[in-house]
Amino acid sequence: MRRPVLLAALLWAGGGAQASDTDVLLTALQQAQTLAARGTAEVSVFFPPRSVPTRQTNALPVVPFRPALIAAHFTVKRSEAPPLAGRDVTRFDLTPKVGQAARWTIWVDRTWNVPLAFEERMPDGTLARRAVFTSVRAQPARVQRPLLPVPAGLRAAVLAALPGVRFPPGFTPTAVKTRGNGLEITLSDGINVLALVIAPRGVRAAPGVASRRVGHRFVWLVGNLPDAPLRSALAGIQTVDEGELGTFLTTGDSNT
Amino acid sequence: MSMDERELDALLARVREETPADAGAAERFLAWHRAEQGMTAPLAARARATFWPTLLACAAVLTGVLMLRPAPALPASAAYDAYQGALGEGW
Repeated sequence: MRRPVLLAALLWAGGGAQASDTDVLLTALQQAQTLAARGTAEVSVFFPPRSVPTRQTNALPVVPFRPALIAAHFTVKRSEAPPLAGRDVTRFDLTPKVGQAARWTIWVDRTWNVPLAFEERMPDGTLARRAVFTSVRAQPARVQRPLLPVPAGLRAAVLAALPGVRFPPGFTPTAVKTRGNGLEITLSDGINVLALVIAPRGVRAAPGVASRRVGHRFVWLVGNLPDAPLRSALAGIQTVDEGELGTFLTTGDSNT
Repeated sequence: MSMDERELDALLARVREETPADAGAAERFLAWHRAEQGMTAPLAARARATFWPTLLACAAVLTGVLMLRPAPALPASAAYDAYQGALGEGW
Protein backbone atom coordinates (compact mmCIF):
# COMPACT_ATOMS: atom_id res chain seq x y z
CA MET A 1 0.00 0.00 0.00
CA ARG A 2 2.83 2.35 0.92
CA ARG A 3 4.62 2.07 -2.42
CA PRO A 4 1.72 3.18 -4.66
CA VAL A 5 1.00 6.08 -2.30
CA LEU A 6 4.64 7.15 -2.46
CA LEU A 7 4.67 6.86 -6.24
CA ALA A 8 1.48 8.90 -6.52
CA ALA A 9 2.91 11.59 -4.27
CA LEU A 10 6.12 11.76 -6.27
CA LEU A 11 4.22 11.90 -9.56
CA TRP A 12 2.08 14.70 -8.21
CA ALA A 13 5.07 16.61 -6.83
CA GLY A 14 7.69 16.33 -9.50
CA GLY A 15 6.65 15.24 -12.95
CA GLY A 16 6.61 11.90 -14.70
CA ALA A 17 10.09 10.70 -15.72
CA GLN A 18 11.94 12.21 -12.75
CA ALA A 19 9.47 10.81 -10.18
CA SER A 20 9.64 7.41 -11.81
CA ASP A 21 13.43 7.20 -11.60
CA THR A 22 13.37 8.26 -7.96
CA ASP A 23 10.67 5.75 -7.12
CA VAL A 24 12.46 2.88 -8.85
CA LEU A 25 15.62 3.67 -6.88
CA LEU A 26 13.77 3.96 -3.57
CA THR A 27 12.14 0.60 -4.18
CA ALA A 28 15.58 -0.95 -4.58
CA LEU A 29 16.88 0.74 -1.43
CA GLN A 30 13.87 -0.54 0.47
CA GLN A 31 14.56 -4.04 -0.85
CA ALA A 32 18.17 -3.72 0.36
CA GLN A 33 16.92 -3.59 3.95
CA THR A 34 16.07 -7.29 3.79
CA LEU A 35 18.08 -8.66 0.84
CA ALA A 36 21.78 -8.24 -0.05
CA ALA A 37 24.17 -9.68 -2.62
CA ARG A 38 27.20 -11.63 -1.38
CA GLY A 39 30.52 -12.31 -3.08
CA THR A 40 33.77 -10.40 -3.34
CA ALA A 41 33.65 -6.63 -3.14
CA GLU A 42 36.36 -4.00 -3.34
CA VAL A 43 35.87 -1.12 -0.92
CA SER A 44 37.88 2.10 -1.33
CA VAL A 45 37.72 5.05 1.05
CA PHE A 46 39.64 8.24 0.25
CA PHE A 47 37.67 10.45 2.62
CA PRO A 48 38.06 10.22 5.55
CA PRO A 49 41.73 9.67 4.68
CA ARG A 50 43.34 6.41 5.79
CA SER A 51 46.68 4.74 5.30
CA VAL A 52 45.32 1.80 3.29
CA PRO A 53 42.34 3.07 1.31
CA THR A 54 41.32 -0.13 -0.48
CA ARG A 55 40.39 -3.54 0.92
CA GLN A 56 38.28 -6.55 0.01
CA THR A 57 35.08 -7.66 1.70
CA ASN A 58 32.34 -10.20 1.05
CA ALA A 59 29.51 -7.65 1.12
CA LEU A 60 28.87 -3.99 0.37
CA PRO A 61 29.23 -1.64 3.35
CA VAL A 62 26.08 -0.17 4.84
CA VAL A 63 24.93 3.23 3.61
CA PRO A 64 22.24 4.74 5.86
CA PHE A 65 19.87 5.66 3.03
CA ARG A 66 16.84 7.68 4.05
CA PRO A 67 14.29 7.44 1.23
CA ALA A 68 12.17 10.46 2.19
CA LEU A 69 15.23 12.73 2.36
CA ILE A 70 16.59 11.35 -0.93
CA ALA A 71 13.28 12.13 -2.64
CA ALA A 72 13.35 15.65 -1.20
CA HIS A 73 16.99 16.58 -1.78
CA PHE A 74 18.29 14.68 -4.81
CA THR A 75 17.65 14.64 -8.51
CA VAL A 76 17.72 11.00 -9.62
CA LYS A 77 18.57 9.99 -13.17
CA ARG A 78 18.34 6.39 -14.33
CA SER A 79 20.44 5.06 -17.23
CA GLU A 80 21.68 1.89 -18.86
CA ALA A 81 25.04 0.52 -17.76
CA PRO A 82 27.35 -2.33 -18.79
CA PRO A 83 27.10 -5.54 -16.71
CA LEU A 84 28.76 -5.52 -13.33
CA ALA A 85 30.29 -8.69 -11.85
CA GLY A 86 28.57 -10.55 -14.67
CA ARG A 87 25.09 -9.26 -13.82
CA ASP A 88 22.79 -6.83 -15.59
CA VAL A 89 22.47 -3.56 -13.72
CA THR A 90 20.74 -0.20 -13.91
CA ARG A 91 22.70 2.93 -13.06
CA PHE A 92 21.22 5.72 -10.93
CA ASP A 93 22.96 9.10 -10.66
CA LEU A 94 21.96 11.22 -7.67
CA THR A 95 22.75 14.94 -7.70
CA PRO A 96 21.91 17.27 -4.79
CA LYS A 97 19.25 19.81 -5.70
CA VAL A 98 20.95 22.47 -3.53
CA GLY A 99 24.27 22.91 -1.76
CA GLN A 100 27.64 21.31 -2.30
CA ALA A 101 27.03 17.83 -0.91
CA ALA A 102 28.62 14.81 -2.54
CA ARG A 103 26.90 13.16 -5.50
CA TRP A 104 26.32 9.44 -5.73
CA THR A 105 26.06 6.73 -8.32
CA ILE A 106 24.30 3.47 -7.44
CA TRP A 107 24.26 0.35 -9.62
CA VAL A 108 21.24 -1.86 -8.97
CA ASP A 109 20.88 -5.51 -10.00
CA ARG A 110 17.95 -5.74 -12.44
CA THR A 111 16.77 -9.13 -11.18
CA TRP A 112 17.39 -8.96 -7.43
CA ASN A 113 16.66 -5.21 -7.26
CA VAL A 114 19.47 -4.58 -4.74
CA PRO A 115 22.65 -2.47 -5.09
CA LEU A 116 25.77 -4.12 -6.49
CA ALA A 117 27.93 -1.00 -6.28
CA PHE A 118 27.92 2.59 -5.19
CA GLU A 119 30.23 5.51 -5.49
CA GLU A 120 30.47 8.89 -3.73
CA ARG A 121 32.13 11.79 -5.48
CA MET A 122 32.87 15.32 -4.32
CA PRO A 123 31.36 18.19 -6.32
CA ASP A 124 34.61 18.53 -8.29
CA GLY A 125 34.42 14.86 -9.30
CA THR A 126 37.06 13.55 -6.88
CA LEU A 127 36.27 10.06 -5.66
CA ALA A 128 35.52 9.92 -1.92
CA ARG A 129 34.23 6.34 -1.49
CA ARG A 130 33.50 3.40 -3.72
CA ALA A 131 32.24 -0.11 -3.07
CA VAL A 132 31.80 -2.51 -5.95
CA PHE A 133 31.30 -6.24 -6.33
CA THR A 134 33.93 -7.92 -8.48
CA SER A 135 32.09 -11.24 -8.25
CA VAL A 136 28.78 -12.30 -6.72
CA ARG A 137 27.38 -15.59 -5.47
CA ALA A 138 24.49 -17.18 -7.30
CA GLN A 139 21.91 -16.16 -4.70
CA PRO A 140 21.50 -13.05 -2.52
CA ALA A 141 21.27 -13.39 1.25
CA ARG A 142 18.47 -12.41 3.62
CA VAL A 143 19.53 -9.56 5.94
CA GLN A 144 17.93 -7.37 8.58
CA ARG A 145 18.85 -3.73 8.21
CA PRO A 146 15.90 -1.80 9.60
CA LEU A 147 16.15 1.93 9.17
CA LEU A 148 16.09 3.69 12.52
CA PRO A 149 13.41 6.39 12.45
CA VAL A 150 14.36 10.00 13.10
CA PRO A 151 13.17 10.87 16.62
CA ALA A 152 10.28 13.31 16.54
CA GLY A 153 11.35 16.78 17.65
CA LEU A 154 15.08 16.13 17.21
CA ARG A 155 15.62 18.99 14.75
CA ALA A 156 13.96 21.51 17.06
CA ALA A 157 15.94 20.18 20.03
CA VAL A 158 19.26 20.54 18.17
CA LEU A 159 18.34 24.09 17.17
CA ALA A 160 17.55 24.83 20.84
CA ALA A 161 20.80 23.22 22.03
CA LEU A 162 22.90 25.15 19.51
CA PRO A 163 21.03 28.41 18.85
CA GLY A 164 22.33 30.00 15.66
CA VAL A 165 23.49 26.76 14.03
CA ARG A 166 22.71 26.61 10.30
CA PHE A 167 22.48 23.11 8.89
CA PRO A 168 24.17 22.88 5.46
CA PRO A 169 21.57 22.87 2.65
CA GLY A 170 19.65 19.59 2.56
CA PHE A 171 20.95 18.24 5.88
CA THR A 172 18.87 17.60 8.97
CA PRO A 173 19.58 15.85 12.32
CA THR A 174 18.75 12.14 12.31
CA ALA A 175 20.41 10.84 15.49
CA VAL A 176 22.24 11.93 18.62
CA LYS A 177 24.37 10.02 21.11
CA THR A 178 26.82 10.73 23.90
CA ARG A 179 30.50 10.76 23.00
CA GLY A 180 32.89 10.83 25.95
CA ASN A 181 32.26 14.16 27.71
CA GLY A 182 30.28 15.47 24.80
CA LEU A 183 27.65 14.70 22.18
CA GLU A 184 27.63 13.57 18.59
CA ILE A 185 24.75 14.54 16.34
CA THR A 186 24.41 12.88 12.94
CA LEU A 187 23.11 15.04 10.11
CA SER A 188 21.88 13.42 6.90
CA ASP A 189 20.65 14.56 3.50
CA GLY A 190 19.37 11.08 2.70
CA ILE A 191 22.76 9.55 1.74
CA ASN A 192 25.59 11.79 2.89
CA VAL A 193 26.18 12.25 6.60
CA LEU A 194 27.90 14.88 8.71
CA ALA A 195 29.07 14.51 12.31
CA LEU A 196 28.20 17.52 14.47
CA VAL A 197 30.16 17.12 17.70
CA ILE A 198 29.98 19.02 20.99
CA ALA A 199 33.25 18.40 22.86
CA PRO A 200 35.36 19.79 25.70
CA ARG A 201 38.32 20.24 23.35
CA GLY A 202 38.80 21.59 19.85
CA VAL A 203 40.14 19.67 16.91
CA ARG A 204 42.80 20.70 14.43
CA ALA A 205 41.70 22.02 11.07
CA ALA A 206 41.89 19.51 8.24
CA PRO A 207 40.03 18.77 5.01
CA GLY A 208 36.38 18.22 5.89
CA VAL A 209 36.86 19.35 9.49
CA ALA A 210 35.68 22.64 11.05
CA SER A 211 35.91 23.43 14.76
CA ARG A 212 34.85 26.47 16.74
CA ARG A 213 34.92 27.44 20.42
CA VAL A 214 31.55 28.48 21.84
CA GLY A 215 31.79 29.54 25.50
CA HIS A 216 33.50 26.75 27.39
CA ARG A 217 32.70 24.11 24.74
CA PHE A 218 33.86 23.32 21.22
CA VAL A 219 31.64 22.43 18.28
CA TRP A 220 33.01 20.42 15.34
CA LEU A 221 31.41 19.69 12.01
CA VAL A 222 32.98 16.87 10.02
CA GLY A 223 32.06 15.53 6.61
CA ASN A 224 32.50 15.54 2.89
CA LEU A 225 31.78 19.22 2.30
CA PRO A 226 34.05 22.13 1.33
CA ASP A 227 35.42 24.22 4.21
CA ALA A 228 33.17 27.23 3.53
CA PRO A 229 29.79 25.52 4.18
CA LEU A 230 31.24 23.64 7.17
CA ARG A 231 32.46 26.87 8.78
CA SER A 232 29.35 28.77 7.81
CA ALA A 233 27.19 26.19 9.61
CA LEU A 234 29.02 26.85 12.89
CA ALA A 235 29.65 30.57 12.53
CA GLY A 236 26.35 31.75 14.03
CA ILE A 237 26.20 29.48 17.08
CA GLN A 238 25.70 31.70 20.12
CA THR A 239 25.80 29.21 22.96
CA VAL A 240 25.77 25.50 23.78
CA ASP A 241 23.00 24.02 25.90
CA GLU A 242 23.36 20.25 25.82
CA GLY A 243 20.51 19.83 28.29
CA GLU A 244 18.06 20.44 25.44
CA LEU A 245 19.07 17.05 23.96
CA GLY A 246 18.89 15.04 27.18
CA THR A 247 15.76 13.11 26.27
CA PHE A 248 17.24 11.91 22.95
CA LEU A 249 20.54 10.60 24.23
CA THR A 250 21.90 7.12 23.80
CA THR A 251 25.37 6.06 24.89
CA GLY A 252 28.00 6.01 22.14
CA ASP A 253 30.87 3.59 21.75
CA SER A 254 33.71 6.07 21.66
CA ASN A 255 35.59 7.43 24.65
CA THR A 256 37.05 10.41 22.85
CA MET B 1 122.98 53.92 53.16
CA SER B 2 122.86 51.30 55.87
CA MET B 3 121.54 52.16 59.33
CA ASP B 4 123.49 51.29 62.44
CA GLU B 5 121.82 49.90 65.56
CA ARG B 6 121.54 53.30 67.24
CA GLU B 7 119.75 54.88 64.37
CA LEU B 8 117.36 51.89 64.08
CA ASP B 9 116.50 52.03 67.79
CA ALA B 10 115.73 55.73 67.47
CA LEU B 11 113.43 55.12 64.50
CA LEU B 12 111.48 52.39 66.32
CA ALA B 13 111.19 54.58 69.39
CA ARG B 14 109.65 57.37 67.29
CA VAL B 15 107.19 54.95 65.77
CA ARG B 16 106.05 53.75 69.17
CA GLU B 17 105.31 57.28 70.37
CA GLU B 18 101.60 58.38 70.11
CA THR B 19 100.98 61.35 67.85
CA PRO B 20 97.93 63.64 67.61
CA ALA B 21 96.86 61.74 64.48
CA ASP B 22 96.44 58.58 66.56
CA ALA B 23 94.00 60.14 69.02
CA GLY B 24 90.42 58.75 68.60
CA ALA B 25 91.39 56.31 65.84
CA ALA B 26 89.67 53.42 67.60
CA GLU B 27 86.46 55.43 68.03
CA ARG B 28 86.48 56.44 64.39
CA PHE B 29 86.90 52.81 63.30
CA LEU B 30 84.10 51.61 65.56
CA ALA B 31 81.80 54.36 64.40
CA TRP B 32 82.46 53.41 60.75
CA HIS B 33 81.95 49.69 61.48
CA ARG B 34 78.60 50.31 63.19
CA ALA B 35 77.47 52.48 60.31
CA GLU B 36 78.31 49.69 57.86
CA GLN B 37 76.30 47.14 59.86
CA GLY B 38 73.37 49.55 60.07
CA MET B 39 73.34 49.87 56.27
CA THR B 40 73.51 46.17 55.43
CA ALA B 41 71.24 44.58 58.05
CA PRO B 42 67.94 46.26 56.94
CA LEU B 43 68.68 45.38 53.29
CA ALA B 44 68.97 41.69 54.10
CA ALA B 45 65.80 41.85 56.18
CA ARG B 46 63.97 43.61 53.36
CA ALA B 47 65.14 40.98 50.85
CA ARG B 48 63.89 38.20 53.12
CA ALA B 49 60.59 40.00 53.59
CA THR B 50 59.89 40.35 49.83
CA PHE B 51 61.34 37.03 48.58
CA TRP B 52 58.56 34.66 49.73
CA PRO B 53 55.52 36.72 48.70
CA THR B 54 57.08 37.25 45.27
CA LEU B 55 57.75 33.56 44.90
CA LEU B 56 54.21 32.71 45.99
CA ALA B 57 52.74 35.27 43.61
CA CYS B 58 54.76 33.86 40.71
CA ALA B 59 53.58 30.33 41.59
CA ALA B 60 49.95 31.51 41.73
CA VAL B 61 50.24 33.24 38.35
CA LEU B 62 51.85 30.16 36.81
CA THR B 63 49.16 27.89 38.23
CA GLY B 64 46.45 30.21 36.93
CA VAL B 65 47.96 30.30 33.47
CA LEU B 66 48.22 26.51 33.39
CA MET B 67 44.65 26.06 34.61
CA LEU B 68 43.07 28.64 32.32
CA ARG B 69 45.11 27.80 29.23
CA PRO B 70 42.84 26.00 26.73
CA ALA B 71 43.66 22.33 26.28
CA PRO B 72 45.55 21.74 23.03
CA ALA B 73 43.38 20.85 20.04
CA LEU B 74 42.91 17.17 19.29
CA PRO B 75 44.39 15.74 16.09
CA ALA B 76 42.15 15.65 13.02
CA SER B 77 41.91 11.86 13.42
CA ALA B 78 39.53 12.45 16.35
CA ALA B 79 37.17 14.29 14.00
CA TYR B 80 37.49 11.59 11.34
CA ASP B 81 36.70 8.92 13.97
CA ALA B 82 33.43 10.71 14.73
CA TYR B 83 32.60 10.89 11.02
CA GLN B 84 33.54 7.25 10.50
CA GLY B 85 31.06 6.28 13.22
CA ALA B 86 28.26 8.01 11.30
CA LEU B 87 29.06 6.43 7.92
CA GLY B 88 27.54 3.01 8.60
CA GLU B 89 29.09 -0.43 9.07
CA GLY B 90 31.74 -1.84 6.81
CA TRP B 91 33.49 1.29 5.53
